[in-house]
Amino acid sequence: MTGPARHPPAYQPPALCVSNLNRRFGSVKALDEVYFEIPKGQVVSLVGPSGCGKSTLLRTLLWLDPPDEGFVQVGGQYLGREKGPGGVVRYQSRREVDRIRPRIGMVYQSLNLWPHMTALGNVLLPQIDVARRPAAGAEANARRLFDRLQIGALADRRPFELSGGQKQRVAIARALAMEPEIMLFDEPTSALDPELVGEVLALLREFAATGMTMMVVTHELAFARDVASRLMFMDRGRIVADGPPRQVIASQANPRVAEFFDRVTAFHPGFRQDAPSKE
Amino acid sequence: MKFDPYLILAALPRISDAALLNLRIAIIALCLAMIGGTALTVVRSLKIAPVNLVIRVMLSFIRGTPILVQIFLVYYGLPAATGLRLAPEVAGIAAIAINSTFFISEIMRGSLPEIDGGQVEASTALGLPPRIIWRRVILPQLFRKISPMLINEGTVIVKGTALLSVITVVEALRVAQQIGAARFRPFEPIIAAALMFLALNLTLMLVGRLLERRFAREVR
Amino acid sequence: MLGLDLSIIWDNLPLFLEGARMTLFIVLIAFVAGMSIGALAAAAALSPWRLLAWLVLAYVGLMRGIPFIVLLFLIHFGLPAAGIRSPALVSGTVALSFFAGAYYTEIIRACVRALPKGQWESARAIGMSPWSATRQVIVPQILAPMVPPVVNCTMTMIKESSVISSITVAELTFSGLVVQGNTFAPFEVFVAVATIYWFICASFAGLARLFEKRLAGARRNQGMTPLVGRYLILEGKRAR
Repeated sequence: MTGPARHPPAYQPPALCVSNLNRRFGSVKALDEVYFEIPKGQVVSLVGPSGCGKSTLLRTLLWLDPPDEGFVQVGGQYLGREKGPGGVVRYQSRREVDRIRPRIGMVYQSLNLWPHMTALGNVLLPQIDVARRPAAGAEANARRLFDRLQIGALADRRPFELSGGQKQRVAIARALAMEPEIMLFDEPTSALDPELVGEVLALLREFAATGMTMMVVTHELAFARDVASRLMFMDRGRIVADGPPRQVIASQANPRVAEFFDRVTAFHPGFRQDAPSKE
Repeated sequence: MKFDPYLILAALPRISDAALLNLRIAIIALCLAMIGGTALTVVRSLKIAPVNLVIRVMLSFIRGTPILVQIFLVYYGLPAATGLRLAPEVAGIAAIAINSTFFISEIMRGSLPEIDGGQVEASTALGLPPRIIWRRVILPQLFRKISPMLINEGTVIVKGTALLSVITVVEALRVAQQIGAARFRPFEPIIAAALMFLALNLTLMLVGRLLERRFAREVR
Repeated sequence: MLGLDLSIIWDNLPLFLEGARMTLFIVLIAFVAGMSIGALAAAAALSPWRLLAWLVLAYVGLMRGIPFIVLLFLIHFGLPAAGIRSPALVSGTVALSFFAGAYYTEIIRACVRALPKGQWESARAIGMSPWSATRQVIVPQILAPMVPPVVNCTMTMIKESSVISSITVAELTFSGLVVQGNTFAPFEVFVAVATIYWFICASFAGLARLFEKRLAGARRNQGMTPLVGRYLILEGKRAR
């Protein structure tokens, strides 16, 4: 007697799939054959020394700075450059690109909130203008997100009236409101006061627990080690290490990676062995 | 009436010669105006009510009246009112310099709020006197910020010198008009004059762009 | 000290006012035309098409590089050379429009460039079209900073219009020259003419200041304390 027939889970395309990204600025290779796939629900941290190409990668993912070669797929859908059946490559129109872009939720390091609108306005505008949602629905959605991020009372404030942490939550809400496949965070802790860093990390941990697919560019290595399930190490435009955080950190396989984490360990002696901090 | 480009070339030598006079007048006027404008701005920052009031009135007058009329006032009006008769060139320089002084002060006023207030606080906390704060903290930054607008003002001054043709200064435009009248072909010499002014101002703008690039590099 | 013969001014007032009316007419048309040209040219210059940007640069360079009086003469004497006969008023207004348009272009470009690049990027990143991003994110933020330079520039234009007197258009300065020719009282005449220009410009500046106040309600300099204000704010009372 067999139980109810088990259907294989429906195929879910990876939240983000990137292949053969190459980008050259003059003689410098900012992106050097970057390949990776991020399945749904995974939390990836992108780590690397400054100048390694992290920012270029983020801009390329959004097709704001198209790569010289390579493809980006969000939730199975090509962005910018499309490969059709038979390997035919087609460039998407600007309108197509614009439509697919919000499926990647980008939270900038400098947040880039629009100062001439209220916090609510910042979250409403993309929904109404890009996703063409009716105003009532958009507002309900926005307020719900604000409540979830515990900034409900700040909806009618302007960005200049908000603290760094509050502004960041608005920026997060703005990206989340578009229901993206994956959220990208560019150095979410670097612009904040030290005491707020913990709050942001806790928030990101919460998101991870709810199954949000995230890629976090960060130098908060404790986060990378404890919350992310995967760590990608980038150096000079290349992903030189990719795997479970503790493994990458402990591995001596790549001298550059090992050197980087050796230096971290010099400052935080127990780093490699530290237990994850309390949730 | 056909267009004859040869006439442009024929007119160039005399006109380019006269353009040097435009240049000289402009340089003198610009220097006077930058000094005056900076001084005026510092005085305004002191916020002494009667002084600022007078300055406001004068500023309003200078900003609100055409340079040409100001030139007329200095050249025609001044002798009639006070008996002080200035040579055309001197009258022209005076009128243009006074005019630009006020404009430069206004340019500075517009960009001063963009200066990071924290630096002023820090400087005062360090005990620096206002004189030094102006000279070492505010003005260097301010001039970098406003250098494009100062160059713009410079081009305004160069163009103002063309108006001096109306009060008989024998500068480039007037020479062009003379040539045009002599040959009954007004158009071509004016093109030559235009080219000279273009040359003067393009040089000025190039200088401005170099400055901007240099300053932008400093910020990075 | 300066004996001002007011009767000269008073007797010729109608002439002056007639000239002023003509000046206002010219300026209004040139403002509208100039702003339209400026907006179009700025958009063209900021677009990704290099040829357009270069053309706009050439236009702006030309307008900024030659004195208005030279441009005026070029158009006034050039149009007939090209076979177009038009009244001096038309040449004057056309010349003024193109002249002003170049400055407006530069103002708009400068204000857009002054915005942090992230503003445009975050709008595009979230999927807004360039038009939407321009209209909803860029333009609202440049309106307030644009006002002082546009006001400055427009007042320049009002005053440049006086140059049009040199091609015998019956505007304000021309009327002044006519009256001066009749009365030989240059000081009184030009003071009167200047005052009328002054009045026009002051009214305009006052209106613009009201407009700027309404627009700039939301902008605030974060670091503006009274101490800082002692240096960076040029208006208001002296702090005690």
